Amino acid sequence: MILLQSPSRFVLQTLQNRVLNSPEKGIDLDCHSFEFDDVRYHIQFSMKSPEVMLLSMSLPTPPPEAVFVDGLPIGALEAVKAVYGQVVQILDPPKDGFNITMKLNLSKLPPDEDKRHIELIKIASVRDVVLGAPLRMILKNLALKTVPPAVDDLVALVHRPKESFFLLPKVDKVTVVYPMRFKDSIDTVLAISFLQEFVEARRTPGLNNAPLCTWSPSPPTELEGAPAEALDANGGFVTFVIFPRHVEGRRLDRTAWSLSTFHAYVSYHVKCSEGFMHTRMRRRVESLIQALDRAKPDAEKSKEGNSFKRLSIKDARNNSHSR
Amino acid sequence: MATLQQQQQQRLYLTCIRNTLEAALCLQNFPCQEVERHNKPEVELKTSPELLLNPVLICRNEAEKCLIETSINSVRVSMKVKQADELENILAKKFLRFLSMRAEAFQVLRRKPVQGYDISFLITNYHCEDMHKHKLIDFIVQFMEDIDKEISELKLSVNTRGRLVATEFLKQFI
Repeated sequence: MILLQSPSRFVLQTLQNRVLNSPEKGIDLDCHSFEFDDVRYHIQFSMKSPEVMLLSMSLPTPPPEAVFVDGLPIGALEAVKAVYGQVVQILDPPKDGFNITMKLNLSKLPPDEDKRHIELIKIASVRDVVLGAPLRMILKNLALKTVPPAVDDLVALVHRPKESFFLLPKVDKVTVVYPMRFKDSIDTVLAISFLQEFVEARRTPGLNNAPLCTWSPSPPTELEGAPAEALDANGGFVTFVIFPRHVEGRRLDRTAWSLSTFHAYVSYHVKCSEGFMHTRMRRRVESLIQALDRAKPDAEKSKEGNSFKRLSIKDARNNSHSR
Repeated sequence: MATLQQQQQQRLYLTCIRNTLEAALCLQNFPCQEVERHNKPEVELKTSPELLLNPVLICRNEAEKCLIETSINSVRVSMKVKQADELENILAKKFLRFLSMRAEAFQVLRRKPVQGYDISFLITNYHCEDMHKHKLIDFIVQFMEDIDKEISELKLSVNTRGRLVATEFLKQFI
């Protein structure tokens, strides 16, 4: 799996289990899950009403520059209503410690298997719907080439706990800037080399139509006016320039998802390559230990049946004579 | 990847280390002079100057060098690995730490490198008695060779992966 998928596997599987394995059998279910180190899910089924599922999601804590309305990104509530319609009811207030709690009625799912599956995938993509809502709004404006309400204003959107990325919407393009921060020094170095590969890869002929991509260790000029703490990033700054052609029609969803999970994508691959390195190093250690074992006479004794002990003592004696 | 000249240089460097080690590894049992019934590697303790020989420093360039310290019953070999950029530095650090943590399995590996070096071996007369001397030297030379090879391969794999990851990501927008 190279690309991250938008439906959360955990939510999808819990739902599928519930829907496929006879929902009338009511068992209590209460489980938590984390995703990408920022979003927390909580799923609850109760015996009393087996058709009803409570899905709560807690979002990363927003930094001061990112705007949240009632604990949710701008437009998230409307987006949830628009996407899910009848199936979902939003509880107000949400559960303690969560940003949104949704009540799903499984009996309202379409009876047709394929349609139901599509609906379930939609529910599992709740992260994309809620966190991606403001981004989607801006990209939609770009696709329609309408003048966004706050043109030339820097928009901050939360994507990690207490961290945000920035958008500079214009009529004909949207500039997206990510300050990349990593906790670990090794992660930082690997990520920087990855990010430089993004710039290199963009130059290959096959990717001429991809968004312009630049990386710089210092904040780009677009970030003028952003708060000081947002300009401090140990992994440098990545800038994508999104043109209307990147958000035409069905591309909009994919673009919004990729942009909102860019940091998770990079850090996922950094971790993967660290895991791969460990496998390699373990193999190398084994081969080096074998090389050392070759130096031990015992290993060969069984093969040749020779006594090397005497030889080595003689060696030692020769050595001492020569000194 | 390395050019012919670089390979030749590397071979010369390793041959020099091999020859020096062959000369240095003539160790004998030598009980401690100060404490009765103790037997310690003199190169570590450096208690009496008459038991130490002149250390040999073999440099390929400023970044890559190998220090061989000799005493009557032990030899200490320390090496510094090439680290051209930050990525290589991190990879070398990670890999050598990985090895040092497994020093137990390597017997002759020192758990901590000598100051100013990346990795150290301590070979005592007991190691020489238990193992074939020439094979032990083979091992150390192979070790040095492998570390260089491993680090450059790791670096290559990080870059390849980065390129793949970036290409796949950007392809989504087309």
